[in-house]
Amino acid sequence: MSGPDALPDPAPDLVPDPAPDLGRVWLGVVAQVWRREPGRLERLAARLLRSPALARALLTTPSLLVPWLIATVVVLGVGAGVSLGTGQPMVALLAPAVTAAAIAYAYGPAVDPAWELSCSMAVSDRMVLLVRVLAVFAVNAGLGLLASAVSGEAASVTFGWLVPMTAMCALALAVATLARSAIAGAMAGMTGWMITVLSVRVTSGQFSAALTRTALVLPYLAITVACTAVAVFASRIPTGGSG
Amino acid sequence: MNIELTDLTRRFGRNQAVAGVTLEAGPGVFGLLGPNGAGKTSLLRMLATVIPPTSGRMLLLGRDPRSYERRREIRRRLGYLPQNLGYYPSFTVVEFVEYFALLKDMPPGRVPVAVAAAVERVDLGGKARAKLRTLSGGMLRRVGIAQAIVNDPELLLLDEPTAGLDPEQRVRFRALLRDLGQHATVVVSTHLVEDVGAACTEVALMDAGRIVFHGTPAELTARGAADGAGDSPLERGYTATLASARMTGTRS
Amino acid sequence: MDDDDMLIARLAAGDDTALRELFARHAPWLAARLRAVLPISDVEDVLQETFIAVWRGAGSYRPESAAGGWLWGIARRQAALLLRRRGPALAVLLEHAGPGDAAAGDASDAVAVRTDLERAVAALGATERTAWRLVCEQDRPVTEVADLMGVPPGTVKSRVHRARRMLRATLGGAR
Repeated sequence: MSGPDALPDPAPDLVPDPAPDLGRVWLGVVAQVWRREPGRLERLAARLLRSPALARALLTTPSLLVPWLIATVVVLGVGAGVSLGTGQPMVALLAPAVTAAAIAYAYGPAVDPAWELSCSMAVSDRMVLLVRVLAVFAVNAGLGLLASAVSGEAASVTFGWLVPMTAMCALALAVATLARSAIAGAMAGMTGWMITVLSVRVTSGQFSAALTRTALVLPYLAITVACTAVAVFASRIPTGGSG
Repeated sequence: MNIELTDLTRRFGRNQAVAGVTLEAGPGVFGLLGPNGAGKTSLLRMLATVIPPTSGRMLLLGRDPRSYERRREIRRRLGYLPQNLGYYPSFTVVEFVEYFALLKDMPPGRVPVAVAAAVERVDLGGKARAKLRTLSGGMLRRVGIAQAIVNDPELLLLDEPTAGLDPEQRVRFRALLRDLGQHATVVVSTHLVEDVGAACTEVALMDAGRIVFHGTPAELTARGAADGAGDSPLERGYTATLASARMTGTRS
Repeated sequence: MDDDDMLIARLAAGDDTALRELFARHAPWLAARLRAVLPISDVEDVLQETFIAVWRGAGSYRPESAAGGWLWGIARRQAALLLRRRGPALAVLLEHAGPGDAAAGDASDAVAVRTDLERAVAALGATERTAWRLVCEQDRPVTEVADLMGVPPGTVKSRVHRARRMLRATLGGAR
């Protein structure tokens, strides 16, 4: 090429082309061969949450996996059956405990082996926790309501257990994040509920009083708020040893 | 400068894990040496924004991680390999690396090729679709390295990255470090002195939460006595510096 | 050392590690053959699509046919797809590249195509030849070529069109 005004020489002395970058081609090939196609549910979740990362994190929640869901359905189904048979509001009594356990297993250092790594991610671990907790709660509430409807429990009881359930879930989550142990959280939630139900029964003579006594709503809400605050604080800083 | 630390401390209860570290690091491979309990892991965890410092000032990639938005920006450009990385046993290699690529806010369109590149770079192409529970310890470590480099980080923090790797893999890994150090700041925390000598442009020696030496590997080697403890010149420099720091209780 | 049939059988069974060996063996000569009819950046794209198609279509391979021919067939199809997206006139060059079931290693075919093409381009008028080289062989954008040649972009495009028509006529006649 001679000078800025000259046209590039059209004679066939084209600069010898560089060889094709086979390494780059290979990467393009395996990127397609290896990739995992997200299922329909994950794609939907990604659109709703506006984040494919959160969608993936959600669908890998231990208590949203199929085996867990099946177990929940079975437990609540048995409860519904017992309700129909005996008239005791079994579903309403079981649902809070079951959900509390599920919440404890939604997240936490004991459940997430790559916990330390998750704490260094741009999509924060608390965001993941929030999304999982809400999803687990919603799914369990839905299953519970279904079982309630099937078992023909009174309307006050059918919805009455949602407030105590929230309280027990908050308790389970708080203990799980404090103790860094899902099982501790699950135990706390279930035990807390058992104690509540039994102590209310002692004072009022009825199992379902734990669900229907309006006087209890405030204490439940107080527990919920307090435990949520604990969970939020406890999930902030992972402790660590020396070194 | 990708890392600027001023008088950084970290306390756990009564234990002062990091007792005042002042450091600056630009692109290159930075080795962090020291005995167990010296505070290397705590320092690395602070650099990875996993735990906040108790006091002192920290700027990573020119940003202050105390603000949520800046912390997010740092984390998008960060790669971290903790000392103990757990795995999801039912995930495959590609699924694991892809999961963390997504969590680092990588644009989804770029993820498949980035994951493929990371997996190939750590020589796990033949195991790309194998489940993690079928892999050996050394391979799992390489999976950890792959997730750390998948987003082409500007700041790469590796805590004992060569644990479980055989000598040949360690050599390949050092070559990888040198490549990465061209554009990024790579901090390698290790107790294996020979890893440092082969790949690092700068070395800091930590003991009891303080930095007792900061310089090049050659400078560290020069501090060693010919008859001192250690199998290699660098190791002799290491033990000599450690000994003198403990005796005098001073920082170099 | 697996032979090609075994590699492709492993691919069909879902073993992606066989793809690496297949790629190492066949990508270089496929790239060379494609280079005869496509610009460099297209060669990489087509090669990539080819091996993805190989992975997906490994089940349809019959061991009686030669692996090389089967691979080249896939590559040709992918190249044709790409060229069709660009414009029907360029596809004529690919048709001229030789019968589809040519055995592997038919590099002479590729050379013959290149030579014919070079001769035909050299026989074009100066302005058409320049436009053709800059736009189609060097892959420059039309606006840049318009600047270089000092003419409006529309003129460049019509020169390229004319070049294509003439090449088609020349090469078509030579078949």
